[in-house]
Amino acid sequence: MPVYNFKKITVVPPAKDFIDIVLSKTQRKTPTVVHRGYAITRIRQFYMRKVKYTQTNWHEKLSTILEEFPRVDDVHPFYADLLNVLYDKDHYKLALGQLNMAKGLIDKVTKDYVRMMKYADSLYRCKTLKRAAMGRMCTIMKKQQASLAYLEQVRQHLARLPTIDPNTRTILVCGYPNVGKSSFMNKVTRADVEVQPYAFTTKSLFVGHTDYKYLRWQVIDTPGILDRPLEERNTIEMQSITALAHLRAVVLYIVDISEQCGFTIKQQSELFHSIKPLFANKPLMVVCNKTDIRKIEELSQEDQDRIQEMREVVSGGDEMEDGESSSMLTMSTLTEEGVSAVKTAACDKLLVSRVEMKLRSKGTAETLNRIHVAMPTPRDDAARPAVIPAGIEETRAAVAAGNRRQTEKDLQEQFGGAGVYSADFRKNYLLEDESWKYDIMPEILDGHNIMDFVDPDIEAKLAELEREEEELQAAAEAAGEVEMDDDDDDELDEEEKELVEKIRTRKAKIVANHREKKTVANNAPFVPRKFDRERKSNVSSMKEQLSSLGMDPSAAVERARSKPASRQERARSASRGRKRGREEEEGNEVEEMDGGRAMRSKSRGSQSRVREPTPSEGLSTVAQKAKAIKLSDKAQRSRNKMAKAGEGDRVIHTKMPKHLFSGKRGIGKTDRR
Amino acid sequence: MTFVRNDSKVFHFCRSKCHRNFKMKRNPRKVAWTKAYRRAHGKDLTEDSTFEFERRRNRPEKYNRVTVQKSVQAMKKVLDIRKARADRHWDNRMAGKKKSDTAEARKVLENEIHLVKAPPAQLAEDPEGYMEKLKVKVAAPQSMESMEE
Repeated sequence: MPVYNFKKITVVPPAKDFIDIVLSKTQRKTPTVVHRGYAITRIRQFYMRKVKYTQTNWHEKLSTILEEFPRVDDVHPFYADLLNVLYDKDHYKLALGQLNMAKGLIDKVTKDYVRMMKYADSLYRCKTLKRAAMGRMCTIMKKQQASLAYLEQVRQHLARLPTIDPNTRTILVCGYPNVGKSSFMNKVTRADVEVQPYAFTTKSLFVGHTDYKYLRWQVIDTPGILDRPLEERNTIEMQSITALAHLRAVVLYIVDISEQCGFTIKQQSELFHSIKPLFANKPLMVVCNKTDIRKIEELSQEDQDRIQEMREVVSGGDEMEDGESSSMLTMSTLTEEGVSAVKTAACDKLLVSRVEMKLRSKGTAETLNRIHVAMPTPRDDAARPAVIPAGIEETRAAVAAGNRRQTEKDLQEQFGGAGVYSADFRKNYLLEDESWKYDIMPEILDGHNIMDFVDPDIEAKLAELEREEEELQAAAEAAGEVEMDDDDDDELDEEEKELVEKIRTRKAKIVANHREKKTVANNAPFVPRKFDRERKSNVSSMKEQLSSLGMDPSAAVERARSKPASRQERARSASRGRKRGREEEEGNEVEEMDGGRAMRSKSRGSQSRVREPTPSEGLSTVAQKAKAIKLSDKAQRSRNKMAKAGEGDRVIHTKMPKHLFSGKRGIGKTDRR
Repeated sequence: MTFVRNDSKVFHFCRSKCHRNFKMKRNPRKVAWTKAYRRAHGKDLTEDSTFEFERRRNRPEKYNRVTVQKSVQAMKKVLDIRKARADRHWDNRMAGKKKSDTAEARKVLENEIHLVKAPPAQLAEDPEGYMEKLKVKVAAPQSMESMEE
């Protein structure tokens, strides 16, 4: 079943915009650069592509328009008529036909020009032909200006039409203007239709939805109808007529019995009779509205007769089988009295008629033929009631007597309610002995999970283990005794132990000293001996060390003390002409014991006089030679590394240390602030 | 701390130290302080019938007062036996230690005595012993005949 949705029709641009859209698309989506020097085939192809592309675009756009607009012949007759009423079918068809024709023309123009372009012999010709083709296409479309504008109007109007499904359950409300059709609609559905105290407030069809018996019901509010020949009716009225004519719905003809709408009951009944043909084959109801102003009993006899007459017409076919109630109802949309009764009655009536219609249709007979309900005939008169177990009977009896089983919920209520009562799960435990239920079992013993040890035949296993352990114990003790015997008196005595301990300590110290020296050596500043406060290789330390090794240090100390302590002194004593003995030379070596740090030049410096240079030395005077020696000494002296790794280490750690460049500087403060 | 690898293998770590070592891809069987190492290298008691008593199981057991009581009593005994066996194991392991320690100490006394006693002092203290030490074993002079051959 087609769903009529006219809200998604694409916009129809005005002719001018349409041309712009298509041409700019061609400009954007096709190559733009071509040169005279190109091969002619390439140039032709370039322009042909442009023309063809434009044509495709026109074709596509026009086709979508033609496809999307509803075709009068294809849609439901209700919509077809509505289109006719609202937009004039001829005009509509013509506009679409024009566009279709334009489409064909454009195709033809393209075909012609592409064919001509095949024979063009220069870029200029091609270009001219392309221009001409485009121009003609645009002219064709420019001529469709009016159709396009009209279609755009139609599209906008169509999009705003209510979505009416012509085939669903529908309640159609009709009557003179201002009788309360829209008020009824507002009461019954959630639609918010404008209600005003003047005629033709509603100018088009409105749709609302309501629920009854869990079904969706479509309620259509129509504009008011005046009593006049069909030819004279205006567009607004014609919409109502269309709806009445084509929708298979229950029709509510609303009569204003208060005559406040400006039309007498006589006029209203005349209208009813004049549009009677439209009600044929439809469930119909006449509803008297505005009973809050005037009751039906208060009417004049004449009017009452007229209403009675209408009622007879309504139930005429059925010969008043269901009395006066269903097809003749009263309500007041102001006080809402009788409104829902009217709705219910209308819905019921429509349901009945739809079912009847369905039964009358072709398919039902076939289905009914296939259905068979089997009803077995009884074999004998024996009663065969359902078997109910005795236990169930007992329980039922107990429950009936008020002795219900106590549930957890009952207990909860009894002992303080939810959140206070905590359910006892243990009472439902299934254990060998009832009395075990509330035992408290430790889980861990000495860091072991008790449950890991639990075993029904643990006693037997334990006995086995204990036996095994006894054997092992005995074996171990026997072995232990043998070992004891084995243990000879190889042990060290106390003195020896002490000595071993001493050796090990000494060894550890030596290793530690060496390691320290090794790590520091690379980056230790060279400190002249006289500034070495912790100088280790002095006479007293030598004495200490020698005596600790069990030697007599007196001779060594004597020898060390007998020679001068420093170089200058030595030099001085030499200049004084004191004879240097062999002891002194040896003492010198003792002094240089620490790590070989002493300078080699020292030993040379102890020479008192520079000898006369020999010719092979290349020096002429003694002074020259002395100077050369001095320079070589200086070059040999190992430099003070100043906390650097070597000559290559030029790292500047911090150029301007904060602590030296901030704050005021007092007297004598150069390295801190 | 539990780590689940993307092949769904689950690792439980007793402390962050273990976790960090795992991340360094260390093999616990080769890291001396781990239980795995001690087990693999025979430091701990591993295969023993007392371990049969403690069985982790993943099924619920119904409580039985008698069995549990017996088990708790047995548990203490089993654990005591296990302790005794572990001690014996340690004793066995340490059996030769004293001997080797003494031997080592003697070697130290023999070879490194000069660190605390200068040779002259040694000589002064024990001239015979010192001289004995100085003796060098020399192979017996070969006879001329054997050389000729």
